[in-house]
Amino acid sequence: MVTGPALRARVSEAGLAYLLLLPSLVFLATFTYWPILRSIYFSFHDVVLGSNKIYFLGFENYERLWTDKLFWKSLGNTVFYTLVTIPCAITVALLLAVALDSKLRGMTFYRSAFFYPVMIPSVAAGMVWVFLYAPGYGPINSAIAALGLPKVEWLYDARWALPAIIFMSIWKYAGYFMLILLAALQMIPADLHEAAKLDGVSAIDRLIHITVPLISPTLYFVIIIGLLHSYQIFDYVYVMTQGGPADATNVLTFYIYQNGFQYQDIGYASTLANVLLLFVGGLITLVALVFGRRVHYLGR
Amino acid sequence: MAEVVLQGVSKSYQGKPTVHAVDLAVADKEFMVLVGPSGCGKSTTLRMIAGLEDITAGRLLIDGRDVTHAEPQKRDIAMVFQSYALYPHMTAYRNMAFGLLKTSSLSKPEIDRRIREAAEILHITHLLERKPNVLSGGERQRVAIGRALVRQPKVFLFDEPLSNLDAKLRTHMRGELKRLHKELGLTVIYVTHDQIEAMTLGTRVAILSDGRLQQVGAPMDLYMRPQNTFVATFIGSPEMSLLRCAMKPNGSGSVVSHPAFTTHVPERADAGEILLGVRPEEVIVGPADGTALACGRVDRTELIGSEALAEIVVGADRLVARTPVTKVPPLGAEVGISFDMERVRVFDAASGRVLSRL
Amino acid sequence: MATLQDPIELSAPATSRGTLLALRTALRRNWLHFVLLPLMLFWISPLAWIIITSLKSRTEVFDPNAGILPAVLQWGNYPAAMAVAPFGTYLINSVLATGGILVCELITITLAAYAFARLNFPGKNILFTLFLLQIMFPIYATFLTNFVTVRELGILNSLPALIVPFVASGYGTFMLRQAFRQVPTELADAARLDGCGHLGILWHVYLPLVKPTLIAFSIIAVVTHWNDYMWPLLVTNSESVRTLPIGLGLLAKSDSGADWTRLMAATVVVVSPLLLFFVIFQRRFVDSFMHAGLK
Repeated sequence: MVTGPALRARVSEAGLAYLLLLPSLVFLATFTYWPILRSIYFSFHDVVLGSNKIYFLGFENYERLWTDKLFWKSLGNTVFYTLVTIPCAITVALLLAVALDSKLRGMTFYRSAFFYPVMIPSVAAGMVWVFLYAPGYGPINSAIAALGLPKVEWLYDARWALPAIIFMSIWKYAGYFMLILLAALQMIPADLHEAAKLDGVSAIDRLIHITVPLISPTLYFVIIIGLLHSYQIFDYVYVMTQGGPADATNVLTFYIYQNGFQYQDIGYASTLANVLLLFVGGLITLVALVFGRRVHYLGR
Repeated sequence: MAEVVLQGVSKSYQGKPTVHAVDLAVADKEFMVLVGPSGCGKSTTLRMIAGLEDITAGRLLIDGRDVTHAEPQKRDIAMVFQSYALYPHMTAYRNMAFGLLKTSSLSKPEIDRRIREAAEILHITHLLERKPNVLSGGERQRVAIGRALVRQPKVFLFDEPLSNLDAKLRTHMRGELKRLHKELGLTVIYVTHDQIEAMTLGTRVAILSDGRLQQVGAPMDLYMRPQNTFVATFIGSPEMSLLRCAMKPNGSGSVVSHPAFTTHVPERADAGEILLGVRPEEVIVGPADGTALACGRVDRTELIGSEALAEIVVGADRLVARTPVTKVPPLGAEVGISFDMERVRVFDAASGRVLSRL
Repeated sequence: MATLQDPIELSAPATSRGTLLALRTALRRNWLHFVLLPLMLFWISPLAWIIITSLKSRTEVFDPNAGILPAVLQWGNYPAAMAVAPFGTYLINSVLATGGILVCELITITLAAYAFARLNFPGKNILFTLFLLQIMFPIYATFLTNFVTVRELGILNSLPALIVPFVASGYGTFMLRQAFRQVPTELADAARLDGCGHLGILWHVYLPLVKPTLIAFSIIAVVTHWNDYMWPLLVTNSESVRTLPIGLGLLAKSDSGADWTRLMAATVVVVSPLLLFFVIFQRRFVDSFMHAGLK
């Protein structure tokens, strides 16, 4: 039962709320929702970049997708990159975080040393690693040669190019994940570990059965952040390999870019973009379903 | 002059009523305490007076002016919150000045004069440049009161202001509040769940339960003449014992019969079930012989300083008696008990309402 | 405990078994360093390599017999790198674009977060979900059609083009809403009695109290957008609007690996502003990234 003045107050509160949301909504609508809707629309049409003419194609773009070997390859590369990079980076990050959680001397220095790659622009990081991976004079190959092992062509070898980018990505992001996990570790009450120690639980068991379940909400959060950061592979591919050699590092984002900007085929590029949206959206939903329910909340 | 009048003030949240048509008039310079168990609607009522909650139905008048739907700052009130609600990023001085700067057209020197004066009264002059996080609970409390004082409002609202203090400080601040009220002639509406706080502070006390006003009156009046069993048991510690009896009209009064005894009361009503309300000090404990009204067995005794309490089983009921420490009956003893029949009261068992004496 | 242990520790150094024991405790206490130190050296080696190479001569880079460190420090690489491209203009553009994004974001997220944290209105949950949806679909997912939109708006190759897709931030709104919800409601009530409206409460009470969150968000936003590569790459095509990362990328392309010394000198210039801030405000940076999203 809401009467005159009270109703007026409530209406004006709602009005104010919409007013406060308006600036955000205008930009969200223009640069997030509208592009998504539009790329769905474009995928059923023939659209050429820079031309106003649009022709309806029906499902033609999707049929083309089905038979496009390069699309399947780029999708496979994207899946491979995501599914290898994220678990590896998080495992490294977790081990680093656990190591740094003890009251070690030089802790802050270690922390910064592992974290600083996050600060470096992707283009700079990509370039440096091109140098490091360089077949002839690159220091990595020099080190390998010093150990008496055969040199590898890294970014010029179809078998090694994508793993090389993955390795670099772990270097770039593990420190970030480590930092977030470290914050979670520091919130675990010390007496839980002490109790387990008194019960004679080994360090590895403590990690698996106490630490990991307790930081699972954060782990879940880190997986999501990792998924979002895996988009950045575009920058590395663009700077380091341009999709090569033999499309061994062509990933969805880069393939979209090639179709849209090099071949000017916005319609087909939009079709690819929809697949990317579905892929990331599906992966996040999957993560939410698998991990979201099992996380233990520590009194929160 | 500052009167606050609530006329049928009600509050519902999403269709669920939480405060039912409260009628209450707070006179000028009165210290009115709203008391009741948690969830009884006392805080909601106070927040409606402050304008922090809108009033679903009814009218609110401050000084004769209808402020039912007025903005909080236009009601000429000030409030002290349970958590003090001091702005953590401002010094004590800024905390006190903030409201005046926002709402009044007072000059800076005038504001400064008021703050210094309030600080003087509250003995916090040396704390004015400090921020809340370095102040103790009692000091924060004083700053919060100071923030209300400088506004020189018509009405002061207090929402459980002492509940975050330790016992000793609470007693001290209770005295301080009493002194401020008397010296400055403030009109105060004060919410608490603590009946002792209510009884010691209030010039009048309003008891709420389940969103309904149960009784309003001077503390002694509430203690001696509770209108219903809720008020009777809520006020007083240890609480009043209620003995279930049958009642039959007889002559000018009624005969009350309990499985353990039969007696006569001056109240008159139709035959039925009643509750006989007896406070611990109204029970007279003596030897178990013919002179006593009833016999009971002592089940538990407790020494509380100058006196002792004895819990006595009478038939199916238990009652608490207050006895001098020198006359504590031994555990398990059969004792005779009588009541101060001038003071005991009779409640209708079904409605809980008191039966009036003729 | 202490009194029990004391006699043992005092007598320990006397025997050889004691020394061994002391060594073992020292090892047990410090073994982590043996793992972490090499790992840490590996982690900072790319940065070290950038700096070392930027001071080498061109022949040293390709000479397998040259030492790791340059024989003579070639400071000349720096002016040489700066002379190839208008790095001053790039720097100004980076500052303007990042600053513009940050200011716009702070305004939009503050307003939106207050609405979500403290106001009641129909459709609140749906709208909040819509905001969160943006986190899932960053510019990397929508760049194609966004490019078409920006082109239609006629702002291609201009400063606004670099800013507009990032004005609203679902993540920032979420972060700030969490922080606002931590502010006790009684403070807002007190401010209302002190005569503040919603905007007054927001300005005088909420914003000062969530300063740590605002700083954390700002740091993350600056790091993100200062380093942005893909979007500026797509929407800029003239020197007058290019940002530092784009300039660096162009330099790398034109040199095509021929002149690593000059390129690494340019990289040092591009990387150093953020790294310097990081070194100076280390605590703040670390705290920001550590606790963002955890509250």
